[in-house]
Order: sequence, then structure tokens, then C-alpha cells
Amino acid sequence: MIEVQNLTKTYPSQTAVADVTFSVKEGEIVGFLGPNGAGKTTTMRVLTGFLPPTSGTARIAGHDVLTHSKEARAALGYLPESAALYPEMRVTEYLAYRARLEGVTGPAVKSRVAEAVDRCLLGEVAHRKIDNLSKGYRQRTALAGALVHQPPVLILDEPTVGLDPTQIIKIREMIRSLGKERAVLLSTHILPEVDAVCDRVLIIDRGRIVAEGTPQELRSKLAGTPVIRAVFKGDVAVREALAGLSGVVRVEEERAAGETRARLECLPDADPSEDVFHLAVARGFVLRQLSREALSLEDVFVRLTRHDEAAPAPAAESAPTSEAAS
Amino acid sequence: MRRFLAIVGREWRAYFLSPLAYVILAAFLVCSGWVFWILLASLSGPNARAGQALLYLFTNTFVWIYLLFTVPMIAMRLFPEERKSGTIEVLLTSPVSEATVVLGKFTGAFGFFLTMWAPSLIYVIFLRAHTPIDLGPVASAYLGIALIGALFLSIGTFASVLTKNQIVAAILSFAMLIPIFSAGLLDVLLSDPSKTDLVNYFNMWEHMEDFARGVVDSRRLVYYGSLTAFFLFLATVVLNSKKETA
Repeated sequence: MIEVQNLTKTYPSQTAVADVTFSVKEGEIVGFLGPNGAGKTTTMRVLTGFLPPTSGTARIAGHDVLTHSKEARAALGYLPESAALYPEMRVTEYLAYRARLEGVTGPAVKSRVAEAVDRCLLGEVAHRKIDNLSKGYRQRTALAGALVHQPPVLILDEPTVGLDPTQIIKIREMIRSLGKERAVLLSTHILPEVDAVCDRVLIIDRGRIVAEGTPQELRSKLAGTPVIRAVFKGDVAVREALAGLSGVVRVEEERAAGETRARLECLPDADPSEDVFHLAVARGFVLRQLSREALSLEDVFVRLTRHDEAAPAPAAESAPTSEAAS
Repeated sequence: MRRFLAIVGREWRAYFLSPLAYVILAAFLVCSGWVFWILLASLSGPNARAGQALLYLFTNTFVWIYLLFTVPMIAMRLFPEERKSGTIEVLLTSPVSEATVVLGKFTGAFGFFLTMWAPSLIYVIFLRAHTPIDLGPVASAYLGIALIGALFLSIGTFASVLTKNQIVAAILSFAMLIPIFSAGLLDVLLSDPSKTDLVNYFNMWEHMEDFARGVVDSRRLVYYGSLTAFFLFLATVVLNSKKETA
């Protein structure tokens, strides 16, 4: 539903997006992850027809955003950064306006507004002024505005920014249910969000896609040694016993606050956590905690977007030069 | 067309949902009521000529003051408000052309301008009760107000696309209105009669007097129509180019 081919957007002073290619299928939620200023918003603005690309193409539901801009724009719902709304309007008024603006006509306006209100759980505040709503409700109103005309493609720029944890969970649930029948591209710099919501992740940095895959794939691709952590009650000598388990490479032990904490570094693909449990049972140790330390997406992200001084800047202009040099 | 009407409707209603509209409306009514009272007082004096009431009502200096002051204030919020709140992005990514956006917003503001003038019909009704008034010139006088208002508003719309700041937009449109308005008054400086003709073509004061006398000259319609279209066109061009920096 969203197809992006070699998309580049340059400003006089900088390259915001450099040669980006990706696609989003129907029924898929793709997370666009990157630090601030990486080019997420610029890419989304090109996709929504707000900015023209410098080169490359982008299609929404088969319509080129440059040559068939109107058709492309009609097929998408866009939630811009910072939930832009008209504060003086009432929620239903605003949604009806958005529906009309998107070309919904006649009695359909009312039913679409009712559906959007239902879907985004806005029933309680439907007739209140947007100005008087809490931030969570405003964000939901903006989301409802993006989907009131039931577009096949949704582009959401930081949909959960500035919300409290309960609100974030609600919005995420909403997005997940929306993604079942649509193509959704959402941007975020919050990592757990991608884990919680997205089927696939694109990590963008300095205008380039530096990694792509499911959250699990990215983790395993970049993961080092798997690590297991075990916490036992009391002061127990477990080090040798643990080190004897198959798959365990190294054990670190630490005693504090009436606990013994062990950190087991394992061979790749090994998971001796069950053995740790059986060992504890057999020896009569009280096992308080047993966890597998997955490389968090955060670690993946930091590894990919860390800018070492020595690393050459991956700016578009420098690419040909470095090729020539090598 | 429906999308255009959606923009017009929202824009027009937005005025009445903000205190600004009521302040402008109230100030306008207070001032025009005051002027009307002065007018009545002077017309009821012994030296007043009969049948001139309408002419005075529409061609007194204050009419220009209302126009020059209220129009920048009506137009100043059109685009800066949308750009500040970010709703401009929503508007320009919906399947609507930039020209439709500019035209829709302008029409909404123009609707508010006409709403502002509507209560002044009461004065005509009052006058009619005491002095003979021909309704033809009343209609053409209002047409004149509408045409001049449309031109001024198109300039205000253009000014509001140029900046994110409402105050700056208001000052810019005021600064553009004054020269355009006063260009037609330059004839006092000229002695060459051939140039006077040219200057008279721009003389809004004179245009308004014609309208208030009931003279609807097609040259005036073309003049105001084409200038209004020109400024709205400029606004569309600027809106298009401003997206990069939004």
C-alpha cells in the first residue's frame, strides 16, 4: 500500500532523507524508528504529499504522490506530529469537518463520525470543546480525525508522544486494531512502542535506513551472547554448579541484601534456564528470579545509531567519494 | 466544491467561536452607530441638503477607517493560526488543492466581513422612515463595500500567508492597504490632467461615491475583481512555496 523507491529529499543546507526504499503492505504495521532529526517526519511529509521529493518515487495505494497527488492524498489518513487540532471546535464538529474535507458527503458524514468516535473511545467527550480536553483525549481526537474517512493507509507521526502510560497503552491497542485491515506507518523514537505495536521496524538514521526487520529479527541479528540472570535467596554458593551446566560459558556471582545474584553468559542458541531451575530444586535453593536477558531493541538501536568520531559521516554527498577511495 | 464549502463553513464559524469576532463586531457597531448619530445630527440642521443622507452614510471618512482597520484584523488569523497549531499540515495533505484552501479561507473571511456589515442595514431602515431613500443606490453602495472589502481581504489573505505571526500579518496588510488605497488620492499632487485620469482609475474614494450614487460601472467590477483574483493568486503561490519551511 505504501511503496517508496530511492526517495531522497535534500534541503539547500542538508540532506534530510537519502535514498530510502521500503514498502508497507496491507494489514501491516511498520514502525519508523530513529533519533530526533533522523528524517522520519520529512519522509512522512513526502509520503503525504506535503513536501515534494527531490528524487525517487513514493506511491500510496498505487498512486504516485507527485503525479497523482490528489488520489494519493485521498487514500491516506495522516496524523501530524503534535496532534494539530482546532481548539475552538467541538470533537464531533471537528471530525465532521475532516470527513467533509476528505470528500465524505451527505448522511455518510454522520455515520463515519459516529464510527470514529466509537473506535477511538471518544463517546464521553464527543460534544466537548477540544480546547478543554486532556492531552490523551486530544491525541485520540486527532487520531480519529486521521481515520474518519476510513483510508486504506494510515501515516502516524509520533502518535503517543506526551501521553501518560495508561493513555499510551490505549492508543497502542487502537493502532494495533487499526492495523488489521490497513497499512500503517508510524514513527517513534520510543523503543518499547515498536516492540509493542509493530510487525516490522525500519531504523532510520541521518536520512538512511540502517536496519530493517521484525523486532525479533533485529535483536537476533545484532545480539551477542545470550545472558541468563538468576537470583537466589540467601547466601548460597552456586557458581560452580551453574558453570557446570551445558551451554554456559561464564558465570559471575554477586552477593547483596541477602541474595545471591548470578549472571550466566551462554553459547549462542543455548538456553539453560530450565536446567538452572532443576538445579535449584535439586539443591534446595530458593530461586527468586530467573530471567533471560534479551538484547533490548534499545541496545540494537544504540548500536546502529551511535556515531563514533572515527566513522565516516553517511551523508549522501560523501558516498561516491568513499567508494572511489576504496 | 463540497470540500471548498467545508473550508468556508469552518472558517466562518471559527470567527464566531473566538472572542476576536465579537470585539470586532462590537467595535464596528459602536463606531458606526456614533457616526450615524453625528450624521443625523448634522443632516437635521437647517443647512443640510435633502436627499444626501445615503451618500454621507457610505462616503464619510469613517467608512474608510473601518475598512482599513478591520480588514487586516479579520484576515490576520487566516494562515498564521493554522501554521502555529500545525493544522495547515492536515489541510494541505487532505485531497484539496492549495487554490481551494486559499479561496475557501478567503470566502469564509469575506462571509464574516459581510456579516459585520449586515447590522448597518438598520441605519438605512431608520433613514427611510424619515427621509426619502431610493433602494437602488443602497444596493449599489453595499456592492461597493463588498467589492472594496473583497480586495482589501485578498490583500490581507496574501499578507497572512507570508508570516506565522498574526500581528506581523496585520501590520503587513495594513502597510499594503495604505499605499493601494491612497494611490488614487494622488491627484491633488498632479497638475497634468492626462495623469489625473490614470490616478482617478485607482481612486477608491471616488469609486465609492459612484456606488453610493447608484452608478455601477463595469470598469469598477473588473478593477476590483481582477485585483482580488491577483492577490489570491499570489497567496496561493506563496502558500505552495512556504510548505518547505512549515
